[in-house]
Amino acid sequence: MSETHNENTSAANTPASVRDTKYWMSLEQWGGDPEFQKLAETEFMSSPLREGAENEGQDGWARREFLKLMGASLAMATAGCIRRPVQKIVPYNKQPEEVTHGVSNFYTSTWSDGVETFGLLVKSREGRPTKVEGNPNHALSKGGLSARAQAHILSLYDPERLQGPKRNLQNKERTNRDTISAKWEDIDAAAVKQLKKGGVVVLTGNLTSPATRAVVSDFCQGFKAQHVVWEPLAHDEIREGQKAAFGDDVVPYYRFDEAKVIVSVDADFLGTWIAPTTFTKQFAEGRKNPKTMSKLVVFDSAYSLTGANADIRVRIKPSQQLDVLMGLAHDIVVTKAFGKYAGNSSVKAALEPFANVAGKLAISKEAWQKLVEDLIHHKGKSLVVAGGLQTKTEWAHEVQLAANFLNAALGNDGNTVDAKIPLTSAKASNKELMGLIEDLNAGKVKTVIIHKTNPIYSAANSGFASALKKAEMVFYTGDRIDETGKQADYMIPDNHSMEAWGDSESYKDVISLQQPTIRPMYDTRSVQLSLMTWAFMAETGPKRLTTPETFYDYLRNFWRDELHPKFGKGKSFEDFWEDALQSGAIGVASLDKPSSERTFKVEALSAVKPVKASGMELVLHPTSMFMDGTLSNVSWLNELPEPVTKVVWDNYASVSIKTAESMKIAQGDVLEVKVGESTLQVPALIQPGMHDDVVAIAVGYGRTAGGKVTNGVGSNAYQLVQFGKAGAVYSGAKASVTKTSLKTKLATTQTHHTMEGRKIVAEATLNEYVKDEAANNHKHKIWSIWSGHQYNGNKWGMAIDLNTCTGCSACMVACQSENNITVVGKKYVLEGREMHWIRIDRYYVGTPEDAHTVFQPVMCQHCDNAPCETVCPVLATVHSSEGLNDMVYNRCVGTRYCSNNCPYKVRRFNWFNYAKLIEKPMHLALNPEVTVRPRGVMEKCTFCTHRIKEARVKSRVENRELKDGDIKVACEQSCPTGAITFGDMNDPNSRVAKIFNEDKRAYALLEEFHAAPSVRYMTKIRNNDKGGETSSHGGGHS
Amino acid sequence: MASWKYGMAGIFETEESIIKAAYKTREMGFKNFEAISPYPIHGMEEACAIKRSWIPYVTFGAALVGLFGGLALTYWTSAVDWAINVGGKPFFSLPAFIPIMFELTILFAALSSVGALFYACGMPKIDPPIIDKDLTCSKFAIFIPNDDNGYDESKISEMFRALGASEVKKAEF
Amino acid sequence: MIKRNQLVLGNKSLKQITEDIVAPLERLPSKGWLGMFLSAKALFLFYIIAIAIVVSTGMGLLGVNHPVGWGTMIITFVFWIGIGHAGTLISAVLFLFRQKWRTSVARTAEAMTVFAVMTAGLFPLMHTGRPWLDFWLFPYPNQRGPLWVNFRSPLLWDVFAVSTYATVSMVFWYIGLVPDFATIRDRAKNNIRRIVYGALSLGWRGTAKNWSHYEMLYLLLAGLSTPLVLSVHTIVSFDFAVSNLPGWHTTIFPPYFVAGAIFSGFGMVVTLMTLVRIGFPEFKDYVTIDHMEVMNKIIMTTGLMVGYAYGSEFFIAWYSGNAYERYAFINRAMGPYAWSYWIMISCNVIIPQLFWFRKFRRSIPVMFVVSIFVNIGMWFERFVITVTSLHRDFMPSNWGMYAWSRYDTAILVGSFGMFLTLFLLYLRLFPAISIAEVKPVKNVGYEGGHH
Repeated sequence: MSETHNENTSAANTPASVRDTKYWMSLEQWGGDPEFQKLAETEFMSSPLREGAENEGQDGWARREFLKLMGASLAMATAGCIRRPVQKIVPYNKQPEEVTHGVSNFYTSTWSDGVETFGLLVKSREGRPTKVEGNPNHALSKGGLSARAQAHILSLYDPERLQGPKRNLQNKERTNRDTISAKWEDIDAAAVKQLKKGGVVVLTGNLTSPATRAVVSDFCQGFKAQHVVWEPLAHDEIREGQKAAFGDDVVPYYRFDEAKVIVSVDADFLGTWIAPTTFTKQFAEGRKNPKTMSKLVVFDSAYSLTGANADIRVRIKPSQQLDVLMGLAHDIVVTKAFGKYAGNSSVKAALEPFANVAGKLAISKEAWQKLVEDLIHHKGKSLVVAGGLQTKTEWAHEVQLAANFLNAALGNDGNTVDAKIPLTSAKASNKELMGLIEDLNAGKVKTVIIHKTNPIYSAANSGFASALKKAEMVFYTGDRIDETGKQADYMIPDNHSMEAWGDSESYKDVISLQQPTIRPMYDTRSVQLSLMTWAFMAETGPKRLTTPETFYDYLRNFWRDELHPKFGKGKSFEDFWEDALQSGAIGVASLDKPSSERTFKVEALSAVKPVKASGMELVLHPTSMFMDGTLSNVSWLNELPEPVTKVVWDNYASVSIKTAESMKIAQGDVLEVKVGESTLQVPALIQPGMHDDVVAIAVGYGRTAGGKVTNGVGSNAYQLVQFGKAGAVYSGAKASVTKTSLKTKLATTQTHHTMEGRKIVAEATLNEYVKDEAANNHKHKIWSIWSGHQYNGNKWGMAIDLNTCTGCSACMVACQSENNITVVGKKYVLEGREMHWIRIDRYYVGTPEDAHTVFQPVMCQHCDNAPCETVCPVLATVHSSEGLNDMVYNRCVGTRYCSNNCPYKVRRFNWFNYAKLIEKPMHLALNPEVTVRPRGVMEKCTFCTHRIKEARVKSRVENRELKDGDIKVACEQSCPTGAITFGDMNDPNSRVAKIFNEDKRAYALLEEFHAAPSVRYMTKIRNNDKGGETSSHGGGHS
Repeated sequence: MASWKYGMAGIFETEESIIKAAYKTREMGFKNFEAISPYPIHGMEEACAIKRSWIPYVTFGAALVGLFGGLALTYWTSAVDWAINVGGKPFFSLPAFIPIMFELTILFAALSSVGALFYACGMPKIDPPIIDKDLTCSKFAIFIPNDDNGYDESKISEMFRALGASEVKKAEF
Repeated sequence: MIKRNQLVLGNKSLKQITEDIVAPLERLPSKGWLGMFLSAKALFLFYIIAIAIVVSTGMGLLGVNHPVGWGTMIITFVFWIGIGHAGTLISAVLFLFRQKWRTSVARTAEAMTVFAVMTAGLFPLMHTGRPWLDFWLFPYPNQRGPLWVNFRSPLLWDVFAVSTYATVSMVFWYIGLVPDFATIRDRAKNNIRRIVYGALSLGWRGTAKNWSHYEMLYLLLAGLSTPLVLSVHTIVSFDFAVSNLPGWHTTIFPPYFVAGAIFSGFGMVVTLMTLVRIGFPEFKDYVTIDHMEVMNKIIMTTGLMVGYAYGSEFFIAWYSGNAYERYAFINRAMGPYAWSYWIMISCNVIIPQLFWFRKFRRSIPVMFVVSIFVNIGMWFERFVITVTSLHRDFMPSNWGMYAWSRYDTAILVGSFGMFLTLFLLYLRLFPAISIAEVKPVKNVGYEGGHH
């Protein structure tokens, strides 16, 4: 300690110039030199967790370190890399002008999750990213951000990330014997030697980055390598369907905002399908105004988030998917003789077998007829979608054909379905994977470079693992030695996306730039640079690959040559580049302009035959938190309840109530699910609204080498996937389910599922609403015995539209990230100790068999007559002059009386010293503007009071009044549907004031208790043609 | 600590005899004699002409202090010194303050009454002299200090004997 | 004048009375006492360790959670506070009513009060999230200023009520002991004993003047303790009644809690007295079957009151027409915690009905068993009130269960260790019956006895 102090002082006395060189030196040594490490570490005192002197100097990564490295705008520095670019490093004693101490700045960037890409605003404090928010300029995500996109910041600070390249010493069975650290030089040498032998395959997941795609193709060109794209959530079935139906191999663009009637057959477009956040935004667009809201009919085999938002949800089993689509087609084209394919004999012949399938479905004749009529009535303005793992069946191809036919017949193609704006990144294909496995087994492949996909985990049942052993050398770019990493000879860890330059294209021509917001924390190297380096050393491949020194240069060249001419609009490239960085996105393609209609190849339809099936059918589906299983080591996502089941820290086999009764299954009983040769043990969840012949299991769980957090969470459902020549069968396979003697506990954040007839979520049907805007929204006559306190100046309030909220849970992660909310783990969730400040309550309404769902985000209601305040003996929670219910952490002694007295039970108690458990460098993700709460104090939603302060200071600086919209609280900011509105109730023109005073749907939760909350909810409207049977007082039990 | 007095003490065996003795002693004109018993004896007050205890006045006064002290405390802290909006209640929420006022009333009254007793009985006394060990058990005594008017040892012992004292002795008390 | 049963049997002389009562202090401890004391002591240590672990690790070790924010500690707090009440009632209220029979049990009952309140007092302090900051609950002048406490919070009323109650009942008890300490002092064989008890007796000398002040003060304290004891449990009940939770927010709570407190208190007195009679046979002449019978009558009566309270709660819940209220009570009797409700009913309402029969009222074994049941029942009453109201309140999405852990058990059982340790020490060191108070009534019920 002391001698480092001297270090510091002496450093302080030396003139700046010398000191700079010192930093220069230290950067050179940066990677290894322990001396410097120690010096650097003991220098800073910034850890939010630092307590006392005992752990001084252990503070591995903290602010000052980043300060020194701040402004390393070219985040490519990798000590040891043979072509180290010269970069300018700005020591903080010369503070970069863009950085003000204690003020966070936002950098535009981008991140892609599978095929969906998001425009990001990365919030950075003194050079460390603390939160990611949506970039409103992005043409598709439009400021919305999925829970995963927000949570991925934790993967940057994951303590288990590889800190440098590694070499796995494989024994002859090619199972990892030992792992030693390697030098980039040696790896590069070995790689080039190996690559020259030929037989190279680059296996990647979907690459959303055009520049990266270019790098890979250049690389493949150079080394005569083959590029195989695979990931579990592939959309090949859609592409094949489109090809067969219209002849172009694309995943088209959908316009859910344009559609008046949406029919989804197992396509969970609000939760997990293709681009959920984009679609959620569009969907909400189409429903914002109840009077003109669209109608969503979902035929659901697992209880998906989309099903939960359906106006009419029909439970089906996979083998009925075709019946639904072809049945509709038949009744529309044959029975009603509608559309240009009416009267076409071959079409008629193909549809005949499906003449009266409606009877077999759990939907009333009337509802079915109404649906047919609606579809016809809204021709060109309706949309039929089918897809996702749930439809990856043996008849997946037919399902796609049928869906495409319907859209063609209804004239939706070219309007709500647009093939002119394809999803360019969706290249993953199960056929290709099977091909690769074949080649590997045939010994045709000598070298495999695996990037952004983890087949040994996610293609567990495909024989890839054994095939890969045939390869001579395997490179893996993963950030840890995971399932696939174990079989790689060389771990060449890629930079985290927040550390690297890049770009991203979701749908054609919607491109955003990814700029690094932090210097690489460890000795990692971007995969692109690896490929470029090897090409450079092997002196092969096109010029544009081998000349640039860094991928940054390659990227700029690529943009100059490929994108600038197209989108430059006559600007100079530098301006174009600057603008792109500024706004974060370019090329807002003509997303709203309908394109031309295509003609359906009717002969293809004749291939479609009814499906014969009996007994239990397996349904595999992703969850919106875990998707394919990447990011599963992020604790936030593990503790984020599955939107519908509210289960955390586990996956499970959902079975219907009837099935459970007939098989004597209780919640938590471990079931053994057998499909073909493969079996899986997984606990049972009794789920209302399931088809009795379905067992649904989520993929993405059961990692064995995913990291400390996720290992052993749930079981790996990928083991049930059936691979064959044709590709992979995820769902619809015959499953035999047996009950084992084992039992486990499923942790849920909500244990009671009905509203007990209380007015909590007010709900009305569209017909009721049209009759009376205040339908099912009973007001109470309330009077008080005294005048009450006056609120002059601002009075903060929030309004939540239950009609647009889809329950996607993005706000929960936003809040968690913004307010340093801790994760407690399964054991303590079971004991009811989860800490979320905002939670999304889910209630079932209607009959248990056909349970419909309502969602309700609940956070502190900031009541004017706050019951919690009255009972706190030490005035630790009191009311602010702006109507906020303040929580004074350092005054709280923790009697928990406030929580007992809170009718909404939104207060959370620190049962243990959670802050102490935050592992470094995780603490760098903490938001310095929000206190990290100690043990024994109560905490709760603050209406992001620090954001209010920030906005006020800003307005003062610009000396103007605060205006509506200046303040965006974390949950509001992240909400893709804009269901949450925050503002000043005393400003008559603010959006909240309008809702509070004018909107007939607005109501206060538990109004009759006159806690006078500052939050209003707006009635949910269900567009289901009913005239009032379903009321807010549903009683669906489970 | 008050220095002890010297005088004559007569020890008696029964409740009745000590009461008689007390009356007699008073008739003899002694003023500040003490009648000592292991337990309170009914009629002793009259016998020794002891005035009703004044402690209740102390109790009452203290009770008032407690009551208004409580009111003052609650009012000043929550309506004057730190007036803050708690649960939308008025700053001066009298009904909510009544329990506090009540408890303080009792506390003050009780403690000051005890204080008063200590004062009245000159407690605590450090190791006071004892005329006879059994006076806190089974025997009774009358003690006449030597400064009492008409103090005459022979006359007194005579009187005690006449009253049936089991023992008469010069004693410190 | 009606013939009364003798309050003190065997026509004892003043000397005998003294000797009987101080006997336990002056002889070496019996094996039985030693055994009980050591085991109580062990339990007490176990208690201290349990508390230490909980306080150092966090409240999370107990079953308290979201939504059930209060659990074992508060339940057991109310339980012990309730126990305390019988002591004050016997010593103060019965004194005001000139109930002579009280004299022999008053001392021990008061002792029980003091120890019960001490045991209880710890819980609210320990159950906070940061016990080391508990002093913040007192309104003391400070330089964080202006910073005061919230006098609107029932918890703060609690702080005042419980601490006042503890102080006053301790003073009351001690004042009663002073003359007896003097007695022991004067009987003292060895010097240390003389000095110790001399100091405790504050130099009491029993002159007529002293006695007249003394009796006046005793009367005053009795007069003050009576409203105090009623207020304390009223205020404890406010902790619940003033909140807005269905099942807590009921106006019947104050009388209902006080009745319950007296009920449980007498239950505990009977339990202890039967034990005392066994442990110190010479007390049988002072704590007679008549005494026990009277207390059993009170148990039965208060038991009926409590039963009435249970009934009217349900009626009002239904009559109010408040859906939340109704659900709360239906949930008590039929919900997942119904078992605890029915334990409460059978222990508190049904079993005490045995005392309609004189035979049972006067049978030591029966009354011992019944009194135990009463104690169990009253603990469960507080469990029912606290847990079942909290675990299902307004919004079904919050509903949950109490996560009982082994630390809950440790805390609950351990608290008895603390209480018994103190009580056993008391039996050895203090006169368990008020010597000065028994003597005046020794003749009651004898021929020619006055009064």
